Amino acid sequence: MQDFLELAVSAAASGCIYGLIALAYLLMIRPTGIINFAVGEWAMVGAFGGYLLLSKFEWPYPLGMAAVLVFMLGVGWLTERIAVRPLVERGAPLLAPILALLGMLVVFREAISVSFPPDPHPVPYALGIQHQSFFIIAVTSVVFIGVWLFFERSVAGKSFEAVAIHRRAAALMGINLSRVTALSFAGGAGAAGLAGLLVSPNVSAHYLMGVPLAIQGFTALVIGGVGRVEGALLGGLLLAFAEQLTVRYAPLPAGYAQGVPLLLLMMFLLVRPTGLLRAK
Amino acid sequence: MKKLLAVAAALFAASTFAQEPIRIGVITDRVGVSKPYSEPCTEGTLFGAAEINRKGGVLGRKIELLVEDDQSRPDISAALARKLIDQGAVFILSMSLTPATQQQQTVTMDAKTPQMTPMNSGDTLTTQLPNPYFWQTGPLGSIQIATLLAHARAQNLKRVALISDNSDLGQLLARFFRAGLEKSGIQIVTEEVVPRGATTAEPQMQKIRAVNPDAMFMAGVLTAENVLIFKAYRQFGLKFPIHSSYNLSVPVYMSVAKGLIDGVTFVDAYDPDKPEVKQFIAEYTKATGKAPFNLHGYGYDGIMLVAEAIRRAGSTDKEKIREAMQQTSYAGVMGAKGMKYSFPEGKRAGFDPDGMVVRVYEGDRQGRVVHVGQK
Repeated sequence: MQDFLELAVSAAASGCIYGLIALAYLLMIRPTGIINFAVGEWAMVGAFGGYLLLSKFEWPYPLGMAAVLVFMLGVGWLTERIAVRPLVERGAPLLAPILALLGMLVVFREAISVSFPPDPHPVPYALGIQHQSFFIIAVTSVVFIGVWLFFERSVAGKSFEAVAIHRRAAALMGINLSRVTALSFAGGAGAAGLAGLLVSPNVSAHYLMGVPLAIQGFTALVIGGVGRVEGALLGGLLLAFAEQLTVRYAPLPAGYAQGVPLLLLMMFLLVRPTGLLRAK
Repeated sequence: MKKLLAVAAALFAASTFAQEPIRIGVITDRVGVSKPYSEPCTEGTLFGAAEINRKGGVLGRKIELLVEDDQSRPDISAALARKLIDQGAVFILSMSLTPATQQQQTVTMDAKTPQMTPMNSGDTLTTQLPNPYFWQTGPLGSIQIATLLAHARAQNLKRVALISDNSDLGQLLARFFRAGLEKSGIQIVTEEVVPRGATTAEPQMQKIRAVNPDAMFMAGVLTAENVLIFKAYRQFGLKFPIHSSYNLSVPVYMSVAKGLIDGVTFVDAYDPDKPEVKQFIAEYTKATGKAPFNLHGYGYDGIMLVAEAIRRAGSTDKEKIREAMQQTSYAGVMGAKGMKYSFPEGKRAGFDPDGMVVRVYEGDRQGRVVHVGQK
C-alpha cells in the first residue's frame, strides 16, 4: 500500500507536468489550428529562467516564479509576432507557421546552448525535496482551474471558443483574431514555461530537456483530446500513471516499459483520434 | 656579441615559427548530446596546444588546431574527418560520441591518417576495424567495471541491483557491468532502466527497494536521470551503498545533486594527489582563471601524446607518426600514480588496465581515492 501511495503521488506530479505541456499545445491549437512543437523548448527556457533567478540570483521563490511566468508570456507573444503573424497576414497555408515554429525550436535551443555552459544547472525546490510533488500538483491545479474558469465563465474566454469554432464568423462578430492568436501563444508559453520551472528541480535545467517534454505533452494531448481544457490534464495523468504503474508492476524486462507512451499514442490515434474528451 | 647572439636567436625563432604549422584536426561536439563531455575535453586540448607552442612548438613548428563540430552525429563526423585531412591535418583527435569516432575511422583508415580518441570508453573502438592508424587512450568500459568490482569484492557482495539509462553508452556500460558481475559470481537481483526524459525514478527505485540488495550499481551516463535516481534513493531513505560508473566523476554532480551523493563511490581516472595532476591544475588555473577537472585532463593528455609522437617521429610523415605512436610510453595527467600510456604489441587501446581509481563522495565533494587498479 505504501508503494502504491508513493507511486500515486509521483505519477500525479509527472502527470501534471505532462498536462501543463498538453495545455500549452491546446491553448494554441484550439483558436489557430497550429501545432507548436517548440513548447518543449519553451519549457526549457522556463527552467533556465528558474536557474538564473532562483539559483544564481537567489530571488525569493514566489517572486522568481512570477517573473519567469511574466517573461514566458512575453516570449510566447513575441514568438507569435515574429514567426506566426507575418505568415498568417500573407495568407500562407497552415503548414507554414508550423514549420516556422519548428525553426523557432532550433533557435530557442541553440540560444540557450550557446548562452550557458553545457552541464545541467540546478534549480532549487520550492518547499524541499519531500514536498516538490505536492507543490507541482497544487500549482497545476490552480492553473487548470484558472484556465477552465477563463474559458467557461469569462467573455474573453468565450471569444477564444468562438474563434476555435469558426474563425471567420468570430471575426465578423467583431472579435480581434490577431489579439486572440497572440494571447493564445502567450498563454501557451506561460503554461509550458511553468511546466519547465516545476520539473527543473528534479531534472535540472538542461538544453536538451525540451524534446522529451514536447513528446510527452503531445501524447497527453492526443489521449485527452484537444477539445477541452480538462482533457489535457486527464491525458497527462493517464499517461503518467500508465508509465509508472507499468514500470513498477508489469512483469516486463527492464526498459520495455518505455514503449507504453508510444503504444498509448498509437492506440488513441487509431481507435479514438479525438481523445477521451470531446469538445462541447 | 651578446646582442648579435640575441638577434640571431630571435631570427632563428622567427624563421622556425614562420614555417608551416603542424595541423591537427579536432572533431568535437559543441551542440549535441556529448557537449558536456566534449567541451571540457576540447578546452584541455586547446590549453595543451597553447602550452606546446609557448615552449617552442614541435620540431620547431607551431601546432595549429583545426576544430570541427560534429554534433556527435556519425554521418557528419565522417565528412568532417575527410575535410580535415583535405585541409592538411596530419592527425585527428576525436572527442565526440563513440559511434561518431567509429565512423571517422572509415575515413582515417582509408586516408592512412593517424587518429586518436583521448576520451571515448567503448571497448570495441579498436577491435571492430583493423585500423592501424587509430588509438584510444580513454579508459575502456571493461576496465572501469573491473576496477569497481575489485573494490566491491572486498565488501563481500552477493545480491546487487543494476540501474542504467536507455542511452547507447548507458546500455553499453550496463552490459559490461552485467558481464563483470556475473563473472564475479555476484547475483543481479533486479535490473532497471530510467529512460531519457523521465521526470521521476521512483517506480524503478521502489522495485529495487523491494528486493533489498546488498548494493546498487549505476551504469547510466545521463546526468539528469542519474540525479532522479539519487533523489528517489534519499526520499525513500535507502541505505545500501551505491557504486557508480565514471559518469559520477564529472563535477557537475556536486551542484545538481547537492546533498544527495554523500558516500557514493565512483570510478575515476583522476587522482587529485598525483603530482602531475597538481601541476596541471595549478597551470591551467593560472592560464584560464578556472580550475580544470578530469575531462580537461583527457584532452590535455591527448594533445601531449600526439605532440610527443610527432617529436619522436621527427617529421610529419603520417606513416612515421603511426610507428612512433605505437611505441608510446608516456606518463600524463590521467591515471593512477605512476601510470603510463602505452600500446602493447598488437593493441591500440593505451590506458593501463590497472590505472583507474575508485573515489568516494565526501559530502558534496569528490573525495579521496579508496582503491587503485583491479587487484
